This record gives sequence, C-alpha cells and structure tokens, in this order.
Amino acid sequence: MTENFLAILFSGIFVAAASGLVGSFLVMRRMALMSDALSHVALPGIALGVIFHFQPLAGGLLFLFLGILLIWSVEKKTSLAIESVTGVLFVTSLAVGALLIPEGELLEAFFGSVENLTTFQIFFQTVISAAIIVIVLSNLKKITLISIAPELAAASRISENSMELLLLALIALTITIGIGFVGVLLISALSIVPAATARNLSGNFKTFLILSVVLAVISLSGGLIGSQFATIGPGILTVLISAGLFVISLLVKRS
Amino acid sequence: MLKNILQVKNLSVTLGNQKIIEGVSFNVKPEEVVAIIGPNGAGKSVLLKTLLGIIPKTSGEVIWAPGVKIGYLPQRFQVDKYLPMTIKEFLNLQPKQEYKIEEVIKMVGFPIEAADKVLSHLSGGEMQKALLAWTLIGKPDILLFDEPTENVDVVNQKSIYTLLHHLQDTLNIAIILISHDLHVVYRYANVVICLNKEMICRGLPQEALTTEKLGELYGDHAFFHHSHLGHTHD
Repeated sequence: MTENFLAILFSGIFVAAASGLVGSFLVMRRMALMSDALSHVALPGIALGVIFHFQPLAGGLLFLFLGILLIWSVEKKTSLAIESVTGVLFVTSLAVGALLIPEGELLEAFFGSVENLTTFQIFFQTVISAAIIVIVLSNLKKITLISIAPELAAASRISENSMELLLLALIALTITIGIGFVGVLLISALSIVPAATARNLSGNFKTFLILSVVLAVISLSGGLIGSQFATIGPGILTVLISAGLFVISLLVKRS
Repeated sequence: MLKNILQVKNLSVTLGNQKIIEGVSFNVKPEEVVAIIGPNGAGKSVLLKTLLGIIPKTSGEVIWAPGVKIGYLPQRFQVDKYLPMTIKEFLNLQPKQEYKIEEVIKMVGFPIEAADKVLSHLSGGEMQKALLAWTLIGKPDILLFDEPTENVDVVNQKSIYTLLHHLQDTLNIAIILISHDLHVVYRYANVVICLNKEMICRGLPQEALTTEKLGELYGDHAFFHHSHLGHTHD
C-alpha cells in the first residue's frame, strides 16, 4: 500500500464517520432519499469546474449550497413539499450536468474516482469531515429534538428554521466530501444505508448513532482496502459491503 | 393577594386573513388551575401557542412574571415507530434540567426501570406520562397542557388527571389546561375560560358554565349534556 493510499484511507475514515452521523438524522427524519437526490445538484457545479479548470468539488459544493437555499426558500414560501422541490431540481441538474460534463469525467462524478483524488482534495475532505462531526456533536440535542418533536423544540425556543438550514448545509457538505469516494449516484451507501442498518440493530439512540458511524467506516474502509486486491472499483465495493451489512442486519433482527 | 404569574390583555391572533382569537383577557395566579374549553377550531391550541411565543400575536399583551419557568405538553406527539430512543434519552434532550431524570420518572409514577423503555413501545397513557416527565424536568412554575388525554383510553385519562392533580398539589404549580371533558373542568379547575374565537365566559366553573353560556359555546346539543352533567355533579 502506498503512502497516498494510506492518506486516502485516513481521510476516508473521517468522511465515512461524518456521513454515517449525518445519515442517521436523515433516516430519523424520513429524508432518506434526500441526500441521493440532492447529490445530483452538484453536477452542474462539477461541470463548471471541469470546463473552466478550477476544483470541480468547489463548484459542486457551491451548487449544492445554492440548491439547498433554493429548496429551503421554495418550501418556506410555497406549499410545496421539500421532496417535490428537490425532485424538480434533481432532474434538471442531472440533465444539465450530463450535457456539460465530458463522458469520462461524468462517469467519475457518477461513481467516484478515488485514484484521481489530489492531496488538496484529501486534505479538504478530512478537514470538512472533522468540522461536520464537531458541528453535529455540539448541536446534538437541538438537532435530535427538532427531528423528533418540532413542537417541543419550538416551546424550548429552538429555532426550527435555523436548525433545518444547518442540517441542509451539513447534508450539502457530506455529499461534497463523499463524491470523490463513491460518486453522486452511490452517495447514500455512505450515509443512508449504514444508518438504516444501525436502526435495525439498535435499542437506543446512542447505539444507533455509534453503529451508524462504525458501519459507514467499515463499508468505506472495506471498499478502499478490498479494491486493492480485486478488480472492482472502491466506490462500488463500498456500496456492496454497505448493502451486505444491511441484509445481515435484517437477518439478525428477524432471529 | 398573590401576584399574577401570567397576564393576558386583549389578545388577538390573525393567521393569514383569518381571525383566530379576538380580544381575550385573563390572568393566572400561582397554583391556579385554569381550564380552557371550547368547540373544535375555537382557537384553544393557538391561544396556548401564542402564550408560548410559538405563534406571534397580532395585538394585545402577554405578560409573564419575570423568571417564570413554563412547561408545555403539546396536543400531538407521535414518535416514529422505528425510532430507537429510550425515555431516559428523550428526557435528556430537554435543554433545561433542574430535576434529575430519575426523579421525574418517579414523579409521574413510572418504575425506575421504565427509563430504559423505548419510546415507540409505549402505550398512549405511558407516552403522556413520559411527556409529563419532560415538562416537569425543568421545574416549571406553570404547565400548559393541550388536551393531555387526546390519545389515551378512558381508564388512563382518569389516572393522568389524578396524577396532574397530585403533581399540582405537591409541586405547587399553576396549570393551564385545554380539555373537552367538562367533568375534568368541574373537578380540577379553579377557573374556566370558554373560548370560541372570543371569550364567552370566565370564572369559577360552577358559576361561569351556565346552560346559556354552554349553549352559546357549543350549540344546542350542549344543553342536554350540561343538564345531565349538572345532576352528576350536584
């Protein structure tokens, strides 16, 4: 294993931990498909990065932030459900992205390209992941309460708007750091699938959060290490491991 | 004369173009139990939420005594049936904790082992007790209850009101309570407020709830209910 691979693995552990943590809130809020749909909004930004030769992930992040602000404000100002707005934005972004991104780069954006991660990207992903983890843990009670009981949170003077916006921003960041590993199409393997597996296996909230993080880390580490010995890409292997763990959790739950 | 814990002066709330509450005024003193009654859509829940600041008032005043601590139990609290969260973990989410979790669990009549029960496994009555524990943990001076027995069967409704009465007695807290059940109002409330957008009556339940006022509040069918109730109460 090269030094670069170890750096990628180290970064991957942080990325997976942040994704698992944010994913557990998405599963809890029944927004499981949100990150999947939202991830496509990054594509036009990635396209601009490829065309104008700047960091594609920065373009992706910018578009994700614009996307969540648009979704949030449309949801607040109209009676449309958040899924409907996301749905419209998702297909439009996918079409624009597919139109603008050259075929080779498009596949990388769809399924991830660990081998093309630059030192800057590895560093950026690690720092952002650590920031996500710190932000979630320092707002854990508020985010949890607003997710399970918005009325109790409002009575406790917790602002629903600011917490929702914070969560959407965290989702955007989580997607951005995960794209390099698994791509926009498979992003839920890092966030939603581990959280769904953890929910199957947990009898309390603490275990749920910890398991969600641990399972995401096992999936991505397994994908990265396994791909060194097989002819299968790390992104796809990560998804298969993640899905395999979910199936096992169903069997364990049934027994 | 005890100082008011809450003063509501000429309160009006308009949502969109619809007037929900108009010109409501009342006071709440420490240790007083105030029941708000009225038909569906009368603005009862909106009134509670306006008192809490969740819904903004259009005009009038809501003046809480300085430093007063408020506990609130909403009308609906449905937990996702897959949510893996114990009662203890739920109570630990309360931002202001002045009692220990174990203390409030005992106060509401749960055995201490109930702390590890998962929320989604609780019955309607147990869930109300867990919510009651949630409101108590901040050591409130006043509790606001929006139909605390809405999703609870009759036997558990009685035990929740008995528990509320006991808590009010032992902890010396004031209560504002929305209830559909006039028996509860007669039995536990010091003051009743009849609300149907405007305040139709206010006072001691036995004095304020006249047949005419109830008829005005609920429509004609309430006449029969009240006269029947009057016999059981007397």
